[in-house]
Amino acid sequence: MKGWHVATIVVILGIIGLFYAGLGRDPRSIPSVLVGKEAPVFSGPDVQSGEILALDAYKGKVIVLNFWASWCQECRLEHQNLLAIHRQFRNYPDFVMLGIDYQDQPGDAIVFLNSFGSTYPHVRDIKGTIAIDYGVYGVPETFVIDSHGMIRFKYVGPIVGPVYTQITDQIIRPLLEGKELQR
Amino acid sequence: MIIEIGYFAVIIALMVSIAGILTPLIGLKTGNPAWIRAGRQAVTANFILLSLGCGTLIYSFLSHDFSVKYVAMNSNSRLPVFYTVSALWGGHEGSLLFWAWILAAFAALAAWLHWKTHPATMPYLLIIESSLTAGFLALIVFLSSPFERVFPVPAEGMDLNPLLQDPGMVFHPPFLYLGYVGFSIPFSFALAALLSGRLGEEWIRATHRWTLFSWIMLTFGILMGGYWAYYELGWGGYWAWDPVENASFMPWLVGTAFLHSVMVQEKRKMFKVWNLFLIIVTFSLSLLGTFLVRSGILSSVHAFANDPGRGVYILIFMSTVLILSFGILIIRSNRLKGKIEMDSIVSRESAFLFNNLFFLIATATVFLGTLYPLLVDTLYGTKLTVGAPYYNKVFLPIVLVILILMGIAPMIAWRKASKENIRKNFLIPAVIAMAGAVISAILGIRQIYPLAAAAIVCFVAATIVIDLYKNSSYWASHSGTNLLRGLYNTWYHNQRRYGGVVTHVGVLVLILGIIGSSAYKLEKTVILKPGDEFTLGHYSYKFQGLQDVQGINWQGVESLFNVYEGNYFVAEMRPQKRFYTGGSQMPTTEAAIQPRHMGDLYLSMTDITQDGWITVMAFQNPLIHWIWYGGGIMGLGVVLILFKRKRRES
Repeated sequence: MKGWHVATIVVILGIIGLFYAGLGRDPRSIPSVLVGKEAPVFSGPDVQSGEILALDAYKGKVIVLNFWASWCQECRLEHQNLLAIHRQFRNYPDFVMLGIDYQDQPGDAIVFLNSFGSTYPHVRDIKGTIAIDYGVYGVPETFVIDSHGMIRFKYVGPIVGPVYTQITDQIIRPLLEGKELQR
Repeated sequence: MIIEIGYFAVIIALMVSIAGILTPLIGLKTGNPAWIRAGRQAVTANFILLSLGCGTLIYSFLSHDFSVKYVAMNSNSRLPVFYTVSALWGGHEGSLLFWAWILAAFAALAAWLHWKTHPATMPYLLIIESSLTAGFLALIVFLSSPFERVFPVPAEGMDLNPLLQDPGMVFHPPFLYLGYVGFSIPFSFALAALLSGRLGEEWIRATHRWTLFSWIMLTFGILMGGYWAYYELGWGGYWAWDPVENASFMPWLVGTAFLHSVMVQEKRKMFKVWNLFLIIVTFSLSLLGTFLVRSGILSSVHAFANDPGRGVYILIFMSTVLILSFGILIIRSNRLKGKIEMDSIVSRESAFLFNNLFFLIATATVFLGTLYPLLVDTLYGTKLTVGAPYYNKVFLPIVLVILILMGIAPMIAWRKASKENIRKNFLIPAVIAMAGAVISAILGIRQIYPLAAAAIVCFVAATIVIDLYKNSSYWASHSGTNLLRGLYNTWYHNQRRYGGVVTHVGVLVLILGIIGSSAYKLEKTVILKPGDEFTLGHYSYKFQGLQDVQGINWQGVESLFNVYEGNYFVAEMRPQKRFYTGGSQMPTTEAAIQPRHMGDLYLSMTDITQDGWITVMAFQNPLIHWIWYGGGIMGLGVVLILFKRKRRES
C-alpha cells in the first residue's frame, strides 16, 4: 500500500458514506426564521367569490395556510392530500384551512379549483405580497399557525409521502388538542 | 401497443447486456473467439433494441398518446413538433433512456472501429460497456420506466416545462450526455489496459479521438447551458455555480487535465499511472454528476426528480463502478513503474505536471463547494449554501495560473529547457504582458484580477503569435514563398499541435468574454410607468408602453423600449413575460437582448402591476458574446485535430 492508495480509498469511501447519509435528508426542508414568530396578518379577495378574507377573523384557531398556483405542477400533486387534511379535521371547531393563490391568473385559478375540487377558501395574492411577508420563495409551501397566532411549522414542497402523516399527526392534531409539539 | 414494443425491446436489451457481460468473460476463460464475437453482437443488438425503445417513445410523443404517462406528463397537443421530439429527454425517465441509448451507440461504434486493431482489448471493452449499459437499463426497467401507462387516460397532456421550450435547452442535454458517455470509451480502454496488462501507450493512442470528441461535446454542452441561462432565465448572467452546473464542470476540468497529460505519456512515456487515474476520475465524475442530478440530494435550480429509491440505486451503481475501477487501478498499478525520472523542473514535462495539478486543485475547489452544504447538513443539521463569492475568491487565482501555463507549456522545451530557450520564447511575451497591463490600467481597469488576467492573455497571445511568425517565416524561406503560404505549411506539417493552438486561442477569447462581461458589467433595477425613461451607461431607455403578444402555445405581455445613445436611436427592445397555455401556466421571462459593440444591452421584465407599472432589470454586458465565440473557436481547433490528415506514425 502506497500513500496514494490509502488516500484514494479514504476519499472514495468518504464520498459514498456522505452520499448515503445525505440521501435520507430533504434538501428543501429549510428551517424558517418565521417558525416561533407571530404570523403576519393579511387580507385579500376570495378567489371564487371575491369577498375579502382576513387572517384576523380566525384569531384563536389553528390555521393551515397553503401557498399554491394553478401553473405549479407539484401543487396538483398535493391537492388531493390537502383536501384529505381538510376532511380529517373539518369537524374540529377550531380548525381553519386557507389557500393562498400565488401570482396566478384569476380565471386559471378558478378552473383549477373547479376541476380538482375545493372545500376551503382561497385568498388571491396576485402580486405575491402575502408570499413576501411569509418568506415564500416557491410554491407549494405550507404553514401551520397555532391558536395564539404563532407560526409553528413550515414545509417547502408538496405534502406527499411521509410529510403528510407528520403534518397531521405530529403538528395539527396536537395543536388542536392543546398538546405540546414534540421537538 | 406501440409503446409496449418499446418496453419489451428495453427489457430484452437488459437481458442482452447481461449476456454481453458473460459471453466475453467465457471467451476470455476458454480462449474461444466465438464467445467474444457474441459479446460484440450483443452491443450491436443493444443499440438496435434501444433505438427501437427511443423510437416508440418518440412515436408516442408525436401521436400524442397521453395514455403513456411520460408523454402525458411532458407534452401536450399544442406543443410545437420540435419540442415534442426533444421532450424525449425533457424528463427524468426519458433522459435516462436517452443516456442508455447513447451508451449503446458508442459501445457498438467502438466495437466496430477497434475490432480489428485492438483484439486483445476487445473482450474487456465489451464487458465494461455492457456492464454500464446493464446498470442503466436495470434502473430504467425496475425504477423509472418511461413506458408506463396511465389510467384513466387524460384528454390532454400537461406540458413540457416551459423553461425547456427553448432551442438552447433542446441541444444542451444531448451534448452533455455525448460528453459524459463519450468518456466511457477511454475509461473502458483504460480498465481494459489494466486488466489485460497491456499498459503501454496503445490505449492512449486508440482513445485519442474519443477523448477529444467527448471533451468538445462536454464543452459545447456546458456553454450551451450557459447561453440558455443567459437568454431564458432573465437574471443577466450565464453561470451561477449551481450544484448541477458544477456537476458538469468537474468532469470537464479533469477531462481537460487528462487531455493534456496523455501527451506527456505519448512523447516521454511518463505519467502512466497518473493518466489511468485521471480518466477513471473523469468518468466517475460524470457518473457522480448523474447521481447529483437524479437523486435530488442537493438543493438546486435544476431540482429534478427527488426520489430516494432511485437515489439509493444510483448510489449503489456508482459505488460499484468507483470501487471496482479504483480497486483495479490500485491492485494493477504496481506493475507500472515510471521508468523515466523528470530531467529538470524547467521543462515541458513539468509544465504539464503543473497544468494537471492546478486542474485537479480547481476540481477539488468546485467539489468542496458543491458538497460542503451536504456535509454540514449531515454533520450538524445546519443549512447553508456556497455561492459565487467563494468560487470567485478561490477559483480565479487557479484559473490565472492555468492560463500562464497555457502560454508556457506549448513553447518550452522537453526534458530540460535551456536559458536560451526560455529567453528566446518568453522575454518578448513577458514585455508585452507588462505593456498589456499598463494599457489596461490606462483604459480604466483597476481591479487586480482583471488586470492580471488581461496581462496574462497578452502574454499567451504573444507566445502564440511569435511562434506562428517564426515557423511561418521558416517555411516561407525554406520553400521560397510568402508568409501566408508559410503559415499554411506550418499548420500542415503539425496539424495536431496547431489544432491545439487554435483551441487555446478559443480559450483566450472566452476568457476575454468573461473578463469583459464581469469587470465591466453595469446593472440597474427600475420601476417605470409608460413614458418614463432611465439611463444606464451611455444609453437611455424610454418605456413606451405594454402590449399583448401571442405564440403557438403561449400568451404574454411585452413592454416596448426605445433605446438611444445620446440623440441617436439605437434599437427597439421588447422584454416579455409569457404564460404557457399548456398544463402548466408557469410564467417565464423572455429577456430582450440587443447586441451592441460585441456586447449586449439586456432588459428583463420581472414584474407587471395591475395599473401598468413594470419592474425592469437592465444590464450592459460588454464582450459577453466572446464567451460563445471562444467556444466556437475551441470547437474549430478540435475539428482540425480530429480530421487531420493521416501521416505515417513515426
